[in-house]
Amino acid sequence: MTIFKHNGSAVVAMVGKNCFAIASDRRLGVQLQTIATDFQRISKIHDKLYIGLSGLATDSQTLYQRLVFRHKLYQLREELDMKPETFASLVSAMQYEKRFGPYFCQPVIAGLGDDDKPFICTMDAIGAKELAKDFVVAGTASESLYGACESMFKPDMEAEELFETISQALLSSVDRDCLSGWGGHVYVVTPTEVKERILKGRMD
Amino acid sequence: MTKQHANWSPYDNNGGSCVAIAGSDYCVIAADTRMSTGYNILTRDYSKISHLAEKCVMASSGFQADVKALQKVLSARHLTYQHQHNKQMSCPAMAQLLSNTLYYKRFFPYYSFNVLGGLDSEGKGCVFTYDAVGSYERVGYSSQGSGSTLIMPFLDNQLKSPSPLLLPAQDAVTPLSEAEAVDLVKTVFASATERDIYTGDKVEIVILNAGGIHREFMDLRKTDAFTEECMFMIDLF
Repeated sequence: MTIFKHNGSAVVAMVGKNCFAIASDRRLGVQLQTIATDFQRISKIHDKLYIGLSGLATDSQTLYQRLVFRHKLYQLREELDMKPETFASLVSAMQYEKRFGPYFCQPVIAGLGDDDKPFICTMDAIGAKELAKDFVVAGTASESLYGACESMFKPDMEAEELFETISQALLSSVDRDCLSGWGGHVYVVTPTEVKERILKGRMD
Repeated sequence: MTKQHANWSPYDNNGGSCVAIAGSDYCVIAADTRMSTGYNILTRDYSKISHLAEKCVMASSGFQADVKALQKVLSARHLTYQHQHNKQMSCPAMAQLLSNTLYYKRFFPYYSFNVLGGLDSEGKGCVFTYDAVGSYERVGYSSQGSGSTLIMPFLDNQLKSPSPLLLPAQDAVTPLSEAEAVDLVKTVFASATERDIYTGDKVEIVILNAGGIHREFMDLRKTDAFTEECMFMIDLF
């Protein structure tokens, strides 16, 4: 469906040893024209939960605003941050509500759950969840990301090695996709800290 | 009432992936051995690789009927060349012939996605990559077929060919050793098998070097989703 290719995007999340990494490209385009080269696709829900939204940018922004709203209400009522599994179910339900007029978004959710166990998942535009133990990908560069991640991923990587791996996978994949690129945004989250890094890649 | 269109297509896609990597004195050409149509597997044991000339090997994915026809045409033309020139065609010469043969059918193309690999007249590895109508380029490595979008980024990452725009001009040939290149090919096919349903069963690897031609097979993961899908469908019936 070409609506998913309108803005261009690449999002990937990987699981490491007691940590996770989530990364995205930085291009925002309108078909073949590049509008922004610093577009944020990954947003924080709370300290240990991040969501990256690929697909149509307007829908990802709207969906993100609604999710923040719902999460804040949850925090007020439950006096707790949402667990990643719960949040994933929330996103899935919200997308399925729009079953016959969907948000054209493919979210990638990554977080640390109970006992700081890393959790990642992705879903399609109508909320079909895909839980994975290793990595999840989304966006116009998804096929390239599948190939790159499948070859480069190893289980139980430490935070630094995970950062290197996810960065290499992201950069080589977006270099084969016209609609994504212009650098990368990588978040590596461990139980104690979050490292946010910008990658310099091909600017085309 | 809208005009009726034919719902019969002369083409089919039999799937599969091909890869070729050029080295300083060798060339590795590989393709999986699965032949499929739609969601069915026709055979697990089909060679997509054709030995066109002494130092020239072609791997082709796409519509295998067109591939077979193309191989026959090239083979016949090579035989003629041998009769007329009393020598084998070099790889760059065969590359040009393939391009011309494909463009000849510009308006009813061979549905064939080719990579040509071999040794040039200096004994260095060369790889040529094509589209279905004959546009071609000499490169250090390439992949074609259903798994190519999965394989290419990883080959870029490992082999990054220097840009043709660089000055001074750098060689298109990769710095890997033959054994490393074969290992890389095995890795990419294992990865492609995981995520591409049309790639699997076995990978046929052909290595061309000064010593001649060497062929080996490697088994790929046996419990892939496509195989399971087919087994499930067989159970249904």
